[in-house]
Amino acid sequence: MFLDPDSKLAQRLNPVLFLLPALTIYIVFAIYPTYSVVEYSFTDWDGIRPDRDFVGLENYQRLFSDKIFWEAFRNTFVWSGVIIVINVGLGLVIAAMLARVWKARLLIQTCIVLPVVISPMAVATIWRWMYQPTGVINQVLETIGLGAFATPWLGSPNVVLYALAFAHSWSTIGLGVIIFLAGLQAVDEDLYEAARVDGANPLQSFRYVTLPALRPVTAVVFILTLTQSFKVFDIVWATTQGGPIRFSEILSTYMYKRGALENQYGYGSAIGVSLLVIVSIATIIYMQIQNKEDR
Amino acid sequence: MGRWVLLFILGVIAILMVSPLVLTVFTSLKPTTELVNPPWYPPISLTFEHYVRVWTEGGFSRYFFNTLLISVVDAIVMIVIASLAAYAMVFMEFRGKLVLQVLFLIGLMIPVTAIVLPLFQIVRSFGLLNTHLGVIFADLALAVSIFVFMFSSFFMGVPKALHEAARIDGATEFQIYRRVVMPIATPAVVTTALLEFLWSWNDLLLRLLLMTKDEMRTLSVGLLNFQGTMTRDVTGLSSGTVIMAIPVVLLFLFFQRHFVRGMTAGAVK
Repeated sequence: MFLDPDSKLAQRLNPVLFLLPALTIYIVFAIYPTYSVVEYSFTDWDGIRPDRDFVGLENYQRLFSDKIFWEAFRNTFVWSGVIIVINVGLGLVIAAMLARVWKARLLIQTCIVLPVVISPMAVATIWRWMYQPTGVINQVLETIGLGAFATPWLGSPNVVLYALAFAHSWSTIGLGVIIFLAGLQAVDEDLYEAARVDGANPLQSFRYVTLPALRPVTAVVFILTLTQSFKVFDIVWATTQGGPIRFSEILSTYMYKRGALENQYGYGSAIGVSLLVIVSIATIIYMQIQNKEDR
Repeated sequence: MGRWVLLFILGVIAILMVSPLVLTVFTSLKPTTELVNPPWYPPISLTFEHYVRVWTEGGFSRYFFNTLLISVVDAIVMIVIASLAAYAMVFMEFRGKLVLQVLFLIGLMIPVTAIVLPLFQIVRSFGLLNTHLGVIFADLALAVSIFVFMFSSFFMGVPKALHEAARIDGATEFQIYRRVVMPIATPAVVTTALLEFLWSWNDLLLRLLLMTKDEMRTLSVGLLNFQGTMTRDVTGLSSGTVIMAIPVVLLFLFFQRHFVRGMTAGAVK
């Protein structure tokens, strides 16, 4: 930094100095662990012993025949599917409505996006309380005469995963809404005008103007929601820890149990690798779509 | 459908969206005697006793300052290291640039969840378990690539001529970075600060693994623990939740525009 800026040495040294802080931290605490998780997954390490033995594909063979892994795998897809349906479907509808409204728009948008900044841990506490057998949800149902639908939401095997996915959607849908809104603002107003002249009602103009114009943005929200919901750990861990029994077990909670709590580092890492592979593929697709859009 | 119908539907949605938060605030302010009322009854006589209790006996003051310290350091250091790296990537010529670009791109794909097991081992091997520093390093590493790209795309909008002119005037790269480029990059700085602060404030998983001693806990781990031991303490839990949510909610309300822009741009994380 104090060298003559034009000297050869300065020109070679400068990039190193500027990049060093970021790169060091990044490589040590992100790239190296990524390499390690793959390496661990081929060993029988317990996370404590100083040495570990190479066991080849043993952990992966075990993974394929592990019923709990497949349950968690299935649950993760169901979980993501529910969240995608809500965040993409409802998110798009809300954004389309919001784009047609001027009065109170900022206020409404604020209410919808606000939960996005709330910590998943706080979200978990709030919804655990609301879902209690005597909690808000059941009390509301009884008050409006739908008491027959009241259920211990987080205690019912067939309901728990959906109930948690709904809570997670509550806290993330705002992100989809603002991305859709940004997309909607780029839609040519003349198209709506033309549709109106042709006698289209608002639903038709939504179907034939809005939806086609938003296809790339929809893809972005879709993949984004997918990758994000695959990575979820906090809200499930803080409410049910995967229970009752394993009815809300997802890949991240299963990995945490095997790896961090039971010290099966090798096996836990194999679960981690499966998560890594799925999320990476989805992210690559996401970036491809975004690139195409930028062009 | 008239505009008023739309407005009505949206109004209902907006109320439903904030109601869980409002009910939590209600509960946290109710004297225990009012808990028999339905949760949607506003508190009749306000009390802050639950906040005081959670803050002092519950240890939340400690958790709060641990969280604040980590989040503020995260945000500040992130601005510095990400902008320096992005500056090199945009304004300097060197060998291996493409490799670095790919390396940073990989960072966008790594889900934190998948690599926490080895991350724990590395932090431990540096002796950084139960230290603020351990969490800070992990936070920075896992988000730095997003912000390098954010700064890079911002720097690419800076006219090359400006950089050239400063070079011809004899300024060093660091002077150009400090005096010319960073002052224009304020929007990117604000977005980085807000997002990194938010992510750091809200995270549970890393803190759960890396902070096991009570005095090192952050709000997320503190709240999780409190929930585990005091399951029936509804007022305490809601006060704790509000304590955790208030700083980020205030930040959001003040900087909504920046948040919205940042979250759409940094949406990859």
